[in-house]
Amino acid sequence: MFSCSQLKSVSKPGRYAGGEFGQIIKDKEKVAARFAFCFPDSYEIGMSNLGMRILYGVLNQADDVWCERVFSPWKDMEERMRADGVPLCAHESGDPVRDFDFLGFTLQYEMCYTNVLNVLDLAGMPLYAAERDDTYPIVIGGGPCAYNPEPIADFFDLFNIGEGEEMLPEIVRLYIKMKEKGATKAEFLIEAARTIPGVYVPSLYDVTYNSDGTVKAYTPKYEGVPAKVTKRIVKDLDKMFFPEAVVMPYIECVQDRIMLEVFRGCIRGCRFCQAGMIYRPVREKSPETLLRQAKCLYENTGYEEISLTSLSISDYTRLHELTDGLIEWTNEKKVNLSLPSLRVDSFSRELMDKVASVRASSITFAPEAGTQRLRDVINKNVTEEDLMRSAGIAFGSGKEQVKLYFMNGLPTETYEDLDGIAALAKATVEQFYATPNHGKRPPQVTISVSCFVPKPFTPFQWEAQDTVETLEEKNRYIGTRVTDRKIRYTHHDARVSHIEAVLALGDRRLAPALVKAHEEGFEFDAWDEYFSYEKWMSVFAAAGIDTAFYANRRRDKDEVLPWDIIDCGVTKSFLWREREKAYGETTTPSCREKCSGCGANCLGGKDICCPNAKN
Amino acid sequence: MLSERKELNEYPPLAEPRTVRLRFCKRGALQYISHLDLQRTFARILARAELPLWYTQGFNPHPKIVFGLPLPVGSESVCELVDIRIERDMPCGEILERLHAATTPELDFTECYVPERKFADIASAEYKIHIDAAVPSDEIACAIKTVLTTSPLKMMKRSKSGEKEVDIIPFIKSADAVPDGTGYTLNVLLSAGSTDNLNPEYVVSALRQRLLLLRSGEEYSVMRLRVCLENGEEFR
Ligand code: SF4
Repeated sequence: MFSCSQLKSVSKPGRYAGGEFGQIIKDKEKVAARFAFCFPDSYEIGMSNLGMRILYGVLNQADDVWCERVFSPWKDMEERMRADGVPLCAHESGDPVRDFDFLGFTLQYEMCYTNVLNVLDLAGMPLYAAERDDTYPIVIGGGPCAYNPEPIADFFDLFNIGEGEEMLPEIVRLYIKMKEKGATKAEFLIEAARTIPGVYVPSLYDVTYNSDGTVKAYTPKYEGVPAKVTKRIVKDLDKMFFPEAVVMPYIECVQDRIMLEVFRGCIRGCRFCQAGMIYRPVREKSPETLLRQAKCLYENTGYEEISLTSLSISDYTRLHELTDGLIEWTNEKKVNLSLPSLRVDSFSRELMDKVASVRASSITFAPEAGTQRLRDVINKNVTEEDLMRSAGIAFGSGKEQVKLYFMNGLPTETYEDLDGIAALAKATVEQFYATPNHGKRPPQVTISVSCFVPKPFTPFQWEAQDTVETLEEKNRYIGTRVTDRKIRYTHHDARVSHIEAVLALGDRRLAPALVKAHEEGFEFDAWDEYFSYEKWMSVFAAAGIDTAFYANRRRDKDEVLPWDIIDCGVTKSFLWREREKAYGETTTPSCREKCSGCGANCLGGKDICCPNAKN
Repeated sequence: MLSERKELNEYPPLAEPRTVRLRFCKRGALQYISHLDLQRTFARILARAELPLWYTQGFNPHPKIVFGLPLPVGSESVCELVDIRIERDMPCGEILERLHAATTPELDFTECYVPERKFADIASAEYKIHIDAAVPSDEIACAIKTVLTTSPLKMMKRSKSGEKEVDIIPFIKSADAVPDGTGYTLNVLLSAGSTDNLNPEYVVSALRQRLLLLRSGEEYSVMRLRVCLENGEEFR
């Protein structure tokens, strides 16, 4: 627990003060297991995470389990803690994390790995799982990065592969049962790996490598430990636990609104997109469920905005029913609706009039690539015509700002494709003037270009990322093609993307480099002001790691990939087929038009569009 | 519980929107929440409480929420005041009950009434300040009183026009200090309101500088007890 003088000495003390409406307080003497749930970034980022909101509620449903929140203290508070010898504590009780039964991390992006290590350190725990005896909490990881947990596998006791709503309570339940019988941590871990689907315990596998540095094999050390860990999903979202209350932050957070999850998965299949693959198959909630949940969340939070959060919201089969049902009461209560993800091919005037985010002066589209050829390669089934039509609707209704997201460094990309980015921006400006009743002010088109990072479980998982030099050259080149003052151009830092690729595609041999990075004080790498490429490269060099081996090497079809230990439903052969089609510049229809046999139907689920799905 | 409430339209509409004043405390963890964050929080508390709020007319309708006297970060209070406007005749008791269910004990509502005075009449605020000290003595308690009553007491003071050195004694209307088991308890009446306003942190800083209090990491706490009129009577 922080003292007054500690809180008064740091910026934004509201990050640490707790006491929020909706937080869950239990009697620690009366619970059988205490779970510290950590989002390894600042409070404002962590409190914005929907997954954390859900799992906090799920775990606290059981009377004998108390789940509390933990965040990374900001640098000023960390300095104060180290100076005063204060260990990291959980938010609700103020008790040291080290005394908990579990410390769970949600791993949303690779650049948080140094924060994970720093949290362990601030809690007073050894970094390597093998060095933590039975008195330390069991360290669990989950979230999208757990689909290739290998670079951080040595620091964790256990990973949750897939959706945690059912799996996490099962893990805690098994732990309570075994603890009562006096079982050791090792016994618990083996039992969990054997009996709970979706549990991956890295220490239960021997990993061997070939002489060329690639992975040779993963071999379970004990009988009954699965050779491949299959992702867990929630089959029926309508019946899934849903947190009716939310912990209400006092200080402003990134997502300070109701997040209404409409469906999971995505029917599209953009070939660079990991989320589009790992969350398959698509499972929807019914509008009846959603309307009930939205009303309930509003009554319990008083938020003035509802955001419909799902990967590609306009693909929801009953979107109009949902928005119409919401608007029936949101207008009267002065609650805004916002849609974070709009596809240009389904953008309509009607939808725009309904939602606040679109009512704002700026509007965002993501064509991702500059030419139709390259959009076909990545399977972004969007045409220039779609984009112009959507931009026209936006301009015609008085908007003058449009933001376009692109990626550079995509497989098969040429300079013609980069020219296409500038050309598309120019065409958007021209569309403004071609639109009758456009606004009085001149248009502003912003193009934002990020660098392609190959991700596990995508058709591009075998690809080599462009080198930093090439990416930077491409970034510069696009800059030279943008000459119109009405077009603003921004791009991501290629050097961050390189490190991200290494951490995304890496294996267990990265662990010593991460420890070294931690020892050198790296953290908050997701924040520009703290990221240092030079320092990262020197850490990798000192650990004897060639980053090009991970980021810039094209992998063979038959190579054993570090994440092959995980089965995310989508098969490797499907991904390879998609890769071949990419090189053939052939698109794949959406799951709703035609099933492409990705394999995710084997996971089952209610009301999904896959044929032959198990239920 | 929410379902047991009467629907808003069961309360008769008012011909003119009515201003009601709420008194609330801001304690514990809430002392670290800035005024700006409190304003945002308030809008949500009112929405959770489902009060018959009156909304401003026009392009961007919003409820009218006016705070009496912003509380500095790091101070607790038992006497915060805020005015809201309602458009239906909901009794004050009912308003309080609904607010009570919509918040935590650290930010709880204690009174609700139709106000007679304007916030502009606030002239001062009384604070209790506790300063920890290992061996409190009567001599130091006397010295505290002397420091806080002897002009000039020059401090760097922030204002809209930047930072400058000012004598803060004219803003300290009364000051008392007594030693207790763990340090000193101060009772100060400070200028408050839109013309002259003194943040109690200046009092603490002055003692830190002049009497070398709080030099070994001791803690202190500030609690606003009442807000007052020019004549020293409690404002309500
Ligand atoms: S099985 Fe077919 S329909 Fe289902 S997710 Fe895979 S490709 Fe789509």
